[in-house]
Parts: sequence; C-alpha cells; structure tokens
Amino acid sequence: MIPELMIALSVGAALFGVGLYGALSQTNLVMIIMGVELVLAAALVNLVAFWRYLHPDVPAAQMFVLIVMAVMAVEMAVGFGIAIARFRSRGSVEMEEARELKG
Amino acid sequence: MTPQMIFLVFFGGAAVWFGIVVFRTRSMVRSALALLFSQTAVGVMFLLMQAEFLGVLQIMMMATEMSVMAIFMVMFMMDPGGMGAMDMTHQKRLSLWAGGIGLVAALAVIWLADWGPMGLLVPDAAEQTAQLGRELLDRSMFIFESAALMILTAMVAATMVAIHPSEGRKR
Repeated sequence: MIPELMIALSVGAALFGVGLYGALSQTNLVMIIMGVELVLAAALVNLVAFWRYLHPDVPAAQMFVLIVMAVMAVEMAVGFGIAIARFRSRGSVEMEEARELKG
Repeated sequence: MTPQMIFLVFFGGAAVWFGIVVFRTRSMVRSALALLFSQTAVGVMFLLMQAEFLGVLQIMMMATEMSVMAIFMVMFMMDPGGMGAMDMTHQKRLSLWAGGIGLVAALAVIWLADWGPMGLLVPDAAEQTAQLGRELLDRSMFIFESAALMILTAMVAATMVAIHPSEGRKR
C-alpha cells in the first residue's frame, strides 16, 4: 500500500462525489458547469497521483492531464455559449425551464 | 506520517471542503470563489506531488477560468449575491444518493485494489518539462494536435451558438 497514493485518490473520489451531487442537484446552468468542473478536477488529481506514485518515468501520464485541462476549458466555453443563447432567448439560465427537448 | 502526507491531507481536505461550499452557499459569486479555492488547492496538491509545471498551470488556468465564471454569474443571475435566498436545487435526495454511491464505489476500488510498487525515480522539474515537451511533439503529437483541433472547434461552436440569430440577417 502506498499511503500518499491512497490519500490523493481518496481526495479525488470525494471531489467526484461532491461534483456529481452538484451537477445533478443544481437547476442553474452555470452551477451545473461548476459541478462538472469538480468531477474533472477529480480526474486530474487521479492522473497526477498515478503518474507520481506508480509511473513517474512515463511523461505520457502528464500529457493526459493537459488533455483533461483542455476538456475543462472546452466544456466551459461551450457551456457559456449555450448559456448566452439561452439567456438571450428566454432571459434565464434555469434548466428547469428548458424542456423543449423533452418529447 | 511524512510532511508530504500531512500537506496532502490538508490541501486535499481544503479542496473537498471548498467544493462542498460551492453548493452550500446561496451567493453565486461566493460559489465561483469557493471553486477557485478548491481548484487552487488541487494545484497545490500537484506541486506537493512534484508535478511543478502542471501545478502552476492548474493554478493559473483556474484563476482566469473562475474569474470569467464569476463575471458570468453576475451577468446572468437575477440575484448573484444570494440576498433573496432563492432555492436553486432540485432532486436533492437522488443527487445525494448518486454522489454518495459514486464516492463509496470509488473509495472501495481505491482501498481494495492492489496498486503495485511505488515508482521512486521522479525526474526534477526541468527534466519533467523537457520530457513532457518531447512527448507532446513526438510520440503523442497526434493526440496533442487533436486537442488543439477540439479547442478550435469548441471556440467556433461556442461563438456560433452565442451570436444572436438576428445579427446574421442584418448583413
């Protein structure tokens, strides 16, 4: 057992749980984006912990961290694009009011 | 307990605590700031795990990202300060169960799995960055370029979605 790895992975698991709760429980689009950001932060912690404590000689692990960071930026950009479009058409970013896609 | 473990527990605890504060406070601006502190604590954890470049990158990126988020909060919310005490949650019980089950399942895997031996030879910061640069521009170049293309596509898509439909018709 590697105690430091266990601590880092446990922090990642806790961030994942909190982020999942936030993404599912919030009605505001920006708050949902915040929940997803926390879930992605959990993935980042796990990737860095795996790199540091299991394979510090493999730089490809750090490359994956950069990819997840890019995904975070993309998720935020597209999320805010949708938020702006929604705010312009409906005057609110409350997802409870977004039922157009429901059959 | 080594100093590294103590600091990992401290900053990990801070990251999780500020993550919880994001969804507990009624003020949206405070939520954005709490998320900034949470992400910064994650960045400090990277520094503790000797990933200096990624740690600094995480802190810098999240500082700008969360500032943008705080601005959007003020723009979009009727009550960004949380003075009206509006409830902006739904399906709370289901979300708590989903988050709780996710947490317990992840913890079970973490504590029951055999992770093998610890890697000991960590390159210094300069060597790490050089190795990462070589990795990005050599073996993983295709993946790296795909990420660049993904960002470009997202930028175009986000701009197109955000443009008001009537702005296109004026020309």
